Amino acid sequence: MMNRRSITRLVTLGAVAALAVSTLAGCGAGGGDSADGSVNLTFWHNSTTGDGKAYWQQTADDFEAEHPGVTIEIQAIQNEDMDGKLQTALNSGDAPDIFMARGGGKLAAVVEAGQVQDLTDALSDDTKAALGEASLAALSVDDKVYGVPSSVLPGGIYYSKDLFAQAGITETPTTFDELSDGVDKLKAAGIAPIALGAKDAWPAAHWYYFFVLRECSQDVVAALATDPSFSDECFLRAGEDLADFAATEPYNNGFLTTTAQQGAGSSAGLVANHKAAMELMGAWDPGVIASLTPDEQPLADLGWFPFPAVDGGDGDAGAMMGGVDGYSCHVDAPKECAEFLEFASQKQQQEAYAQAFVTLPANKDAQGVVTDPALQEVLASYNDAPYVSVWLDTLLGQNVGNALNVGVVDLLAGKGDAQGIVDAVEDAIKKG
Amino acid sequence: MSVRTSTPAPRRAPADDVGAGDESSPALRRAGDPAPSAPGPRSGRRDWRKALEITVLVGPALVVFLGFVIFPVVMAGYYGFFRWKGYGPPTDFIGLQNYATIFQDPTFHEALWHNVVIVVMSLVLQGPIALLLALLLNRPMRGQSAIRVLIFVPYVIAEVVVGTGWSLMLQSDGALNGLLEKVGLGALAEDWLSNPALAIWTLLAIITWKYIGFAVILFLAGLQGIPQELTEAAQIDGASYWQIQRRITLPLLGPTLRIWAFLSIIGSLQLFDLVYIIWGQYIASTAGTSTMATYMVANGRNAGNYGYGNAVAVVLFVISLVVALVYQRYVLRRDTAGALTERSER
Repeated sequence: MMNRRSITRLVTLGAVAALAVSTLAGCGAGGGDSADGSVNLTFWHNSTTGDGKAYWQQTADDFEAEHPGVTIEIQAIQNEDMDGKLQTALNSGDAPDIFMARGGGKLAAVVEAGQVQDLTDALSDDTKAALGEASLAALSVDDKVYGVPSSVLPGGIYYSKDLFAQAGITETPTTFDELSDGVDKLKAAGIAPIALGAKDAWPAAHWYYFFVLRECSQDVVAALATDPSFSDECFLRAGEDLADFAATEPYNNGFLTTTAQQGAGSSAGLVANHKAAMELMGAWDPGVIASLTPDEQPLADLGWFPFPAVDGGDGDAGAMMGGVDGYSCHVDAPKECAEFLEFASQKQQQEAYAQAFVTLPANKDAQGVVTDPALQEVLASYNDAPYVSVWLDTLLGQNVGNALNVGVVDLLAGKGDAQGIVDAVEDAIKKG
Repeated sequence: MSVRTSTPAPRRAPADDVGAGDESSPALRRAGDPAPSAPGPRSGRRDWRKALEITVLVGPALVVFLGFVIFPVVMAGYYGFFRWKGYGPPTDFIGLQNYATIFQDPTFHEALWHNVVIVVMSLVLQGPIALLLALLLNRPMRGQSAIRVLIFVPYVIAEVVVGTGWSLMLQSDGALNGLLEKVGLGALAEDWLSNPALAIWTLLAIITWKYIGFAVILFLAGLQGIPQELTEAAQIDGASYWQIQRRITLPLLGPTLRIWAFLSIIGSLQLFDLVYIIWGQYIASTAGTSTMATYMVANGRNAGNYGYGNAVAVVLFVISLVVALVYQRYVLRRDTAGALTERSER
């Protein structure tokens, strides 16, 4: 039978539980205006280390100083966790006010769900002009701007000039024959030719994307945004090109369990520590490599060359693929969100951004601070490129994009072939 | 309050034919009378207290169970009928199409097969080793408790720590290959994690290392419950050590073995954390270590296909439930007789 003491205990327990529930309910992520006029903004970005993290903290502090009563709560989230975490937060209606956006199908899905603010009219014309039409277009859906670009990140091959010299490679490869030749020389010199973080899937998939860029015409690639089907046979050819190249074993040992950016054992870490000579990456790579060198300084001998040409492809040899990183405002965010993004797009902030992340700023006025020789090469190619496509997985959205990436890893692991990549895409379309 | 036994025995009859609240006229029921299936309706302070007691004691657990087990299962079943990206309420009803896609997806077949391998090999590998260790540790010996603790340590370490640690050690240029190289066995170095022919065996080795302690502790507890007199009597009759283990210990350890196997099977079917930590979000299927649970997360949450993911969750739930029920019905039947099921007729 129940005595008085146990009843008392039970009541206490119930009270504690009720308190816990109400506390939990109270600490949601969403900010907003409160009664005394102060504004609280939550902000998610993916720079968990070094100068990039410090940059955002500094920019937020500067903004707070100019706007009394505004507080920005920053959460740095590991890049690989970002997509899933953000989606969960958006689904639950408890999203951060400012969050990262990369355009393509992923942004389109969030727009379709009505979770993000239309910033078309919130940005001043000066800011829009400085950012340029191309980078704004990457973060737009149906001609409405849903994100403010912070950097343009075209991809290509980063390499160590010292290791190339050590292996006796005098000129950067412009064709695949030359690249294969370089791979042989590096192997002969006992250097892992190409670092690849296939555990994260997307770095491996970069290789396929670039073959697609070279094999498929501009129209075929652009059409993927609206129709994700891989029916054109150039997608098969791209897969076969990759299979042929992979058969020469150009990647580091154990590339399947190598991550892209986490620690010295990652692919960027291998380049940073002169354990591997090349990596196919976007323009964020010099910054990532810099954070992984022994002295955490930019790698002095880092160079860059565009993805080599492929014989007989339909794509332009000068075409580039890359992303645009930017930031969006959640639909419920206060107007200070757009003000903050505008503030971060100004020349001064963008110059600091480019230096902190060792990358290319979206604001063209700030591009003068790019001194890194590898990045200057990227910038030159970017300004000359006849067209620039968004990364295929971004373009295709999370569902099909992830499946495509895994299909490419399967091919590299010898578990699938070019047809397998096309099948993986078709299978994924059925699931979403 | 009265204690209810499952055998017909003299017991206090319900006082429904007497005055309300009168506790002074217990009628003795004749032995052999069928016991009523439930006490009859009663009224009064005592019943009120009893109802309160049941409500207070069972209520919270029931609410938690309904809210966090039954309700999510029902909701998963509901969402599984939709093509749904997770934003707002689902609207695109597609019937059983998600299930058709699951059962036609070769990646799911592989994941299911990996689960089967893990279930069977966990039993085959862990059972005998744990049994031998338990028999060994059951004999008085020097350092016995220290060894017991050491064997149990892996089970206590968090999965994340185990996964991270092993994945670092087993990388192509990790500690294990380094060690092999140093002792002149460089030829044995392998891509332990990324070679699709090998990875599942690596996973099984890690699982065995991690969970063997749990089996050993369970078996030791079972062994402690076997009366010493039986072994002594057998020894007097001239039985050898192995004969005693074979004819007395093993059969009496049966219930413990069966419940361990049950826990192991269910754990293997739902294996997620180790795989997800060692192989990450994407490449478990490439390495040949994907399970139904990692498939669910990869194609549900990570792909943003919440409707499809829920359908996979339902499939995983039904498979586990069927296995559990079949096992309860045919293997655990004697052990749980009277507790979970009606007493079996013999």
